[in-house]
Amino acid sequence: MLWLCITLPQLPLEALQCEQGERPTLVTVLEGNVRSVVCCNPAAGRIGLQPAMNFTTALAILPEVIAMERRLTAEQAALERLATWAYQFSGTVILGELFADLQRARTTALWLEIGASLRLFGGFRKLIEQLEAELGKLSYSYQLGIAPTLEGAALLARTGVRVAITTAAALRARIENISVHWLNLDPWITQQLQSVGVRTVGLLLALPRDGVAKRFGPEVCNYLDRLTGAAPDPRPTYRLPPKYHARFEFDAEIHSTEALLFPLRRMLREFVGFLRARDTGVQKFTLRFVHRDTVATVIHVGLSMPDRSSERFLTLARERLEHTELPSASVALELSAETFAMPTGLNVDMLSGATEHGEELGHTLDRIVARLGENQVHGVKAVAEHRPEHSWTTAAAEDRRPPLDFPDRPLWLLPEPKPLQLSGMPALTGAERIESGWWDGGDVRRDYFIARTQQGAALWIFKDLRDGSWHLHGFWS
Amino acid sequence: MSASRAETLEQLARLCRNGREGPPPRVEPSGSASLDAVLPGGGWQSGTIVELMPVSDGIGELRLLMPALAKITQSERHVAMIAPPYIPFAPALLRHGLRLEHFWIIRAQSAADILWSAEQTLRCKSFGAVLAWPSAIRDREVRRLQLAAEAGSSIGFVYRPPSAAHESSPAAVRLRLQADAVGQLNVDIVKCRGARAGMSLAVGGLESAGRQRLTANT
Repeated sequence: MLWLCITLPQLPLEALQCEQGERPTLVTVLEGNVRSVVCCNPAAGRIGLQPAMNFTTALAILPEVIAMERRLTAEQAALERLATWAYQFSGTVILGELFADLQRARTTALWLEIGASLRLFGGFRKLIEQLEAELGKLSYSYQLGIAPTLEGAALLARTGVRVAITTAAALRARIENISVHWLNLDPWITQQLQSVGVRTVGLLLALPRDGVAKRFGPEVCNYLDRLTGAAPDPRPTYRLPPKYHARFEFDAEIHSTEALLFPLRRMLREFVGFLRARDTGVQKFTLRFVHRDTVATVIHVGLSMPDRSSERFLTLARERLEHTELPSASVALELSAETFAMPTGLNVDMLSGATEHGEELGHTLDRIVARLGENQVHGVKAVAEHRPEHSWTTAAAEDRRPPLDFPDRPLWLLPEPKPLQLSGMPALTGAERIESGWWDGGDVRRDYFIARTQQGAALWIFKDLRDGSWHLHGFWS
Repeated sequence: MSASRAETLEQLARLCRNGREGPPPRVEPSGSASLDAVLPGGGWQSGTIVELMPVSDGIGELRLLMPALAKITQSERHVAMIAPPYIPFAPALLRHGLRLEHFWIIRAQSAADILWSAEQTLRCKSFGAVLAWPSAIRDREVRRLQLAAEAGSSIGFVYRPPSAAHESSPAAVRLRLQADAVGQLNVDIVKCRGARAGMSLAVGGLESAGRQRLTANT
């Protein structure tokens, strides 16, 4: 087993917003009766605000700083979305625990077993490159660590040591000089260790086990065993859900469509990660914009063929969003998809021109449907029916087999027959009687003719035999 | 810039592009020998915008294109009608040889949506021809469609009211359509690259069975 650990030191902040704002922003948490800073954005860091600082001090430095309350549900949702995304790189993903306490708020992690994926991705460097390229697009701050044990990889990630360590012996050698305060132990214990002079991991590992267990409790020894690989570290792996459902809670209400695109983009990229992990695509997904007071706005995004391109998803979603009036500001965004299908472009010969054409057609029609609405783009087909208005119907692409032979018909049909006031009887030709429909109440008894106007136009008109009225029904254009 | 100068520049630009870009434009015969004789390239040429200005509905304004549209759909390319004034009647389309699985109706409403849809479809290589009925169109927009048609190697047919014949337009081919009392379709060349404007052609050989029956019965 070889574990890649991704730690997310800024998750408390980044789970709530994904653009790096220009205004100093921080996340705080109340412990006992002291409010402290959990993490802050770069703008806040530049003016001297930092994690673990007392919030009162932070306010003294910058009274107008934007402060958000830490929200564990948002962090859990973000971590789960990331785990789903990470599945594309590994079949074994483990979610780290979220710690409510201030000291461990910035240690949230997830692990990927990469030993089995190395060959698939063409080696170590390629896997990491690809993973970092994708991870970078999601706009999370992260640190990576690679080691044969879960805790070892996490420790390396937290300390920012960018070395891949593949054996237990190398790991032990590498962590000897690391300060004990980086260890995933109760903060009270690390303080105790430092106060008695045990400052490095190496010194702690050299102490007699019994003594450590007696003084600090057996869990310290257990942890050290799992860290070094002396004891196994079984944990439940994250299971890929059969349906996709992701939620992004915003730090504040988002009013503008433009601003909604930031979380939307991140969510679509994570979604594509899920699709890659499942090795599939989608033809339909649903966005729910959650509002505080009113019912959520639901947008269904449909594609003419299965796809998994986050850019195309974004183009379509954006087009729909721009034509949707959101009743009020959004407090959260949800993305869900239930049915999946292999993207057609991926499972057939990529060099085939026909496929390329088909895909291009699909994308063009999708864009138009996204802008004009589902019912505004369609094909037509003929139906074996005597009544002209029932002898055609709108149709989807797959279903347009030509039916039986048809009598001669005009190219233009009016949506509804239009009553005609005839002044004198025009020259009529091409008489055809159409009688039908008594069985479904759409009773029709008509004599159709072709009438020529002075401008040379040929009209398709009929006399309704039930009341003798004349109607225009089409043009021989 | 005068219209003729703009045109010369456009032609020059086209010549420059021709040097670099590979395939020559495709040409679909119109089905009428006399019309093909005046059309640039000898038929409806891909990468061009054709303006059609019928004096009234029902004179053969659609029939004129049917041979080309049928061939395009039969060669696996698609045809779109954007904002048609009436329902394109499926039984008649079939009789004209159109393959309906390659035929699309896009019911855009606003002028902006109509032109946008036309541009999207023209630009898409899957479409061989796009017929559009814009409520209004300006020179700038015709040029945009022109570029889209070149990019997608498709033909753009833009239907306009007869009054538009008096205005200038950057479209490569502009035809005014009218019919005589017995329904013979006449094509007036308002503008045609390489042909004399002001010519008028009686277009035969495009009758649907309906018209033949009409003449037979008269």
